[in-house]
Formats: sequence, structure tokens, C-alpha cells
Amino acid sequence: MSEEQLVLERPTADPGAWVDRHGDYLYRYAMFRLRDASAAEDAVQETLLAALKAYDAFAGRGSERTWLVGILKHKIADHFRRVSREVTAGGDDEGEALEQRELFMQTGEWVGHWVAAVHPEKAEILGPHEWHATPEQLAEQGEFWEVFGRCLQPLPARIASAFTMREVDGLTSEEICDVLNIKVNNLWVMLHRARAHLRRCLELNWFGPKEH
Amino acid sequence: MKPGFLSRVKLEASFWLGRRLPTCEEVLPVLSQSLERKLTLRERVTLRLHFLICVYCLRYLKQLRLMRASVRARSEQIETGDSAPAPALPEDARERLKRALERAKQ
Repeated sequence: MSEEQLVLERPTADPGAWVDRHGDYLYRYAMFRLRDASAAEDAVQETLLAALKAYDAFAGRGSERTWLVGILKHKIADHFRRVSREVTAGGDDEGEALEQRELFMQTGEWVGHWVAAVHPEKAEILGPHEWHATPEQLAEQGEFWEVFGRCLQPLPARIASAFTMREVDGLTSEEICDVLNIKVNNLWVMLHRARAHLRRCLELNWFGPKEH
Repeated sequence: MKPGFLSRVKLEASFWLGRRLPTCEEVLPVLSQSLERKLTLRERVTLRLHFLICVYCLRYLKQLRLMRASVRARSEQIETGDSAPAPALPEDARERLKRALERAKQ
């Protein structure tokens, strides 16, 4: 076989076909983590451009999709790293504090306990309620995930990022602390804030006293 | 024994316990951390006792667990099936991607 034939027979990259074959998949993957259409599109574009450059190293070995998702994961981590440095981006500490305050006794002997526990007549409005749903049921409901995404929106970008890396990707504390350049105690505080806010928001907008 | 005597005792007992335990607001960060690390024996005992007098903190913990489990279930669904009921790549974004890739290829 001549040198020329070898060159010709090497598989060549067909990025247009990548978009058709994996575009939806990569976009959904990115969208579930970034919850922003233009950020998700950017991540997919950066992924495919990087893939084009690195194609010779891959050269059709293994699953194309697995390879692309591997690159996308790095692009998403880059995004989290970037937004976590923007200290001022998003977040409303005061609103968050207010929203939690109405749930707990502010004075008296039972200060710091659920208002619902001290005044049972207010439990119906304030909760926490029993959530009658299974993870499998919720996973099926596109509408629930729209509410979920809107609930994460008001959180500071770095807190939402920490939450996503922990809950969606199941990264370890060390991995997350490394991306966000924080200490583990700080991470725990951030995750607590994210969960407290999200829990309250989902209760009000999905699970609340009104039945869905 | 007067009716209601036992429930009266139970109520007094839970007041007594409640005054000696951390408040709900102090318990919540620990509940969140129970998803992050193994709690110490002392923390676990305190939570058990707290749940005896507070159904709401127990509910809160169940809610945190349900949130985690549903996020993972949804994520798995998106990663395994193309039929996931999540919005697909919009047409205009698809075109932009293809153009950007064509430019880069040249």
C-alpha cells in the first residue's frame, strides 16, 4: 500500500454529521446542567470545535458520542469555573433570608423552630409538607423541570454550580472544591443554601397545598 | 387515670426535650450535611431525638433526599434515552453550529 493511499483511507472528521447525530443529545446534556440556552449552545460549539482539532488523536476509535460527551464535560466545568469567579453575578441574599425567616419562630421560647410546629394552624400554608411523588414520576415530567430550573435561577451562579456538580454529576467534595477553588466547609454552606431555597421554591410552586 | 393524662405527659416530655436540643434552624445544615458525609455518633443521636419531637425536620430531610434522587433519575433519563422530554437543539442553533464548524474546518 502506498503512502498516498494510507492518507486517503484515514477517516476524516465530518462535523456537520456530528451536529445531526449528537447535537440534540449534547444540547440536552449541557442544558440540564447550565439551564441557559445560549450557554448550552456555546458549550456544544466549543466541544465540537475542540473535537475537530483533536480528531486525529481520536480517529474513529471507540464511540463518537462518548468521546464528545467527555469533551463537553470539560467545557461545562470550565463554564462553572468562570462564573464562580464572577462574585457579583446573580443572587439575592436578602430575599433568600427573608423567605426562610417566615418559616421559623423569630421570638419567644421556641425561637428557631418551625412556625408550623408551634402553630399547627399555620402548617397548612407554611409546611414543610409531605411530598407525594417518586423520583421516577418526577423525572418524566418536563413541566416539573421547568419549575426546577426557574427555582435555581435566583441563586448566585457559584452556588447553583456547586449544587449541579454535586447533585447532577455526583462529583466528590474534593472535585467541586477544586473547580470552584473553595474549602469544604464553604461548599457545605453553599449546598445547604441551595437546598433550602430550592426546597421552599418547589414546595410553593409545585408540591404546595394546591394539588397538581 | 384521667383521659388525656398520657398525652399531657408526652407533650411535657417533648417540651422538656425540645428545650435541651438544638433548634430546627440549627438542625437543617446538619440534615444537608448528612447527604455529604457520615455524621458523628453524637450528631446522629441528636437528630434521632430531634425527630421524636419534630415531624417537620424529618419531612425536610425526606424532601432533600427526594430532590437528589429525582435529579439523578432525570439526569440518567437524559443520558440514556433520546426520547427524553427535554427541549432539543433549536433549528437556528443547529445552523449556527454547522456554519461555525465549516469555517473552522477550512
